[in-house]
Amino acid sequence: MKLRKPQRMAERETVVALIDVTFFLLIFFMLIGRLDATAPFAVKPPLGVTGTDLPAGGITLSVAPDGALALDGAPIDHAALDKSVTDRIKKNPDTLIRINADKTTELRIVLNLITEFEDLGAKDVALIVTPETP
Amino acid sequence: MSGFALKRPARRHTLISVVSMIDVMMILLFFFMVTSSYLNLDMVPALQKTDEPNADPAPTTSTQAGAPSTVLIRIAPNGTMAVRGQNVTTDSLTALLKARLDADPLTPVVLFPSGGAQLQDLITAMDTVTKSGAVRVKVIRLGAAK
Repeated sequence: MKLRKPQRMAERETVVALIDVTFFLLIFFMLIGRLDATAPFAVKPPLGVTGTDLPAGGITLSVAPDGALALDGAPIDHAALDKSVTDRIKKNPDTLIRINADKTTELRIVLNLITEFEDLGAKDVALIVTPETP
Repeated sequence: MSGFALKRPARRHTLISVVSMIDVMMILLFFFMVTSSYLNLDMVPALQKTDEPNADPAPTTSTQAGAPSTVLIRIAPNGTMAVRGQNVTTDSLTALLKARLDADPLTPVVLFPSGGAQLQDLITAMDTVTKSGAVRVKVIRLGAAK
């Protein structure tokens, strides 16, 4: 007697679950991520527990421990920085300038930058900190 | 009499492919995963100017009756804090500030960091001062003579 294997039914794989999971992940990463321009060098912000929420908008100046600068992710020198900040302040005098300096940066660099921005007419300058160890 | 009836052609069952939608979603997902920063960032105001004149008058160093006396905190290049020439830890500084702020909640606190100190030292000092309850905090530095 010859037993015949029953014919396997071709199962239709549904992609609905895949779409659900992908949508969930997409929305999750869109909500919790920040699309800030990253600096071309590593910056570890200082630990500070009394900071307030970082508002969106404005310009971000990254400062490396050796004093290298990057404005909104693009490397920049001091002369070009002054010109760029002056232009931004002329367009909007209330422009927020965020200084994202490495925690090991010497204060002579950071405080000089703040003084420079004040002389250029900036009204709002903030230092970026992180409430948790990076 | 023979008539004729028009029959609608049966609708073809069209299948909409979701493959391209999945492709686009995957590209967006990878884009957000790679380009976003997930570090929790806050900010500490370093300079805030208002258009109102004398909105925040400079702290006075006067010790006259009725005028608050300033607490000056120096920060050495190695990060050590000192008040009136005495080195202080964060705990002793907190106790000192609380005693002064209990007497006068508007006591001005001035931070005078060395240029060789690191940013973390200044932020630590600012955290200590803020947690003590000081509301008039300033950072000063020595400027070049003009």
